[in-house]
Amino acid sequence: MLFSLEEVIETISAVGVETFDIRTITCGINLMSCADSDVHKCAAKVYEKVVRVAHDVVPVARKLEKKYGIPIVNKRISVTPVSFLAGAFTEPTAVPIAEALDKAAKELGIDYVAGFSALIPKGITRGDQILLNSIADALCCTERVCSSVNIGSSQAGINMDGVYRMAEIVKEAAERSRDKNGLACAKLVVFCNAVEDNPFIAGSFMGPGEAEAILNVGISGPGVVRAALQNSTHLNFGELSEVIKKISFKITRTGELVGREASRMLGIPFGIIDLSLAPTPAEGDSISDILELMGLEKTGCHGTTAALAMLNDAVKKGGIMAATYAGGLSGAFIPVTEDAGMCRAIEAGALNIQKLEAMTCVCSVGLDMVAIPGDTPVEVIAGIIADEAAIGMINHKTTACRLIPVPGMQAGDVVDFGGLLGKGPVMEVGRHSPALFVRRGGRIPAPVHSMKN
Amino acid sequence: MNRKKEQVVITVLGANKPGILAGITRAIADSNVNVEDVSQKIMQDLFALMMMTDFSTANCSFEDFQSRMQTVAEQLRVKVFIQHEDVFRFQHRL
Repeated sequence: MLFSLEEVIETISAVGVETFDIRTITCGINLMSCADSDVHKCAAKVYEKVVRVAHDVVPVARKLEKKYGIPIVNKRISVTPVSFLAGAFTEPTAVPIAEALDKAAKELGIDYVAGFSALIPKGITRGDQILLNSIADALCCTERVCSSVNIGSSQAGINMDGVYRMAEIVKEAAERSRDKNGLACAKLVVFCNAVEDNPFIAGSFMGPGEAEAILNVGISGPGVVRAALQNSTHLNFGELSEVIKKISFKITRTGELVGREASRMLGIPFGIIDLSLAPTPAEGDSISDILELMGLEKTGCHGTTAALAMLNDAVKKGGIMAATYAGGLSGAFIPVTEDAGMCRAIEAGALNIQKLEAMTCVCSVGLDMVAIPGDTPVEVIAGIIADEAAIGMINHKTTACRLIPVPGMQAGDVVDFGGLLGKGPVMEVGRHSPALFVRRGGRIPAPVHSMKN
Repeated sequence: MNRKKEQVVITVLGANKPGILAGITRAIADSNVNVEDVSQKIMQDLFALMMMTDFSTANCSFEDFQSRMQTVAEQLRVKVFIQHEDVFRFQHRL
């Protein structure tokens, strides 16, 4: 027999018991051919192109789920940053593009469409300005559209005008979606060193260096890693790393198979597989649970950053060999409300926003799905974004903020966003003001890339 | 002419009792799917059966075969998994 019964049962129980799934197949679509000075004409072209290119994404994903017995949880689309198109608009709004994308996503059964984005690490163009001014409206009048803005990079430094503007937009989006606990902010990411081939929402967009259309795959397997570490107390670090690498290889390999086959069936080139561990609110599908199995009493205690660094590195080492092309954000995600274990650690007083920030130095991708008090001043939000961006800029990695200042809520309150976005405690933020610093204007200059200390 | 093989792994798990293998193989034969290899174990009281089959001779679509087998599995009160062999090959073989 080609496989042993044990091997077959291992694969089956990874899905059935340990919640392994392909988190997303994301179809990237270049929208430059839709350019038009009339935003409504452009929106019509965008709708037509997205529906045409991604027409079969959902049916093919469903076929593959059956063929391999592996769930594909999300089917998504990413597009060229809409700010590229907005520069030509006579009317200074990009909201009709968001509406067209939302309509296309609903028509196709796509879960999320991302790329209502701008890249402003060094400066803000007219198109960027139009996009930034449209974000809050776009996120509130659509359901499935996600937005991201890149405000810094290791090459360019940090655009602090962009940081401050994004803090204002985060506040505005929260207020405008007050009836849904600021849900619009769950669809908005502020990046430093954003990548062009990320399949994960909300920060996905189709980079200008990509092809006409591309398929990227993101996997998810914290539950499988957790199961593998269940009886690991006797292992030393080398052995622990080996266990994680092997599991990571297997789950990434499944993503590779699904990506190759989807690419063949759709006739769209396979871009990358994101070597990721993406938690869900489901019990056991948690990065925090893995860290605690590694020997921490509670996630957030001293030692957490080291444990996460090792986990993140082992996941990549195992995954890289399994993937023909690795890319995207590649790393363990720590979205707070989406990870029930993280929420428990916060409620136990073990994990705070300062420790989370430290953790983002060694994993993917930043302060993600962090609910903060609704009355947090714009300046403090700008300070949080700037700190995260600085970590990314100096360490040559992607960092991000997906902050939700929940209107009317205080630290310790519990907010429920529903579904994969989960529920969790509102976290306390620092009380002292960085106002003078964040309002200085201009850019933090690009850092020195030598003398690494 | 040689038909290109399409190898599909059928796994059956459930509480052990008489007639599981008979019921499952009858349903496979009805769909004209060819069994190429069988491995079966009783692990404690769990009945575990794995079959490597060639689906290329089937008289129905893959999805129809899955739902036919699902119906039989429900009658036998067992769980059946029908997956293309690639998923195991990719995970367990270099």
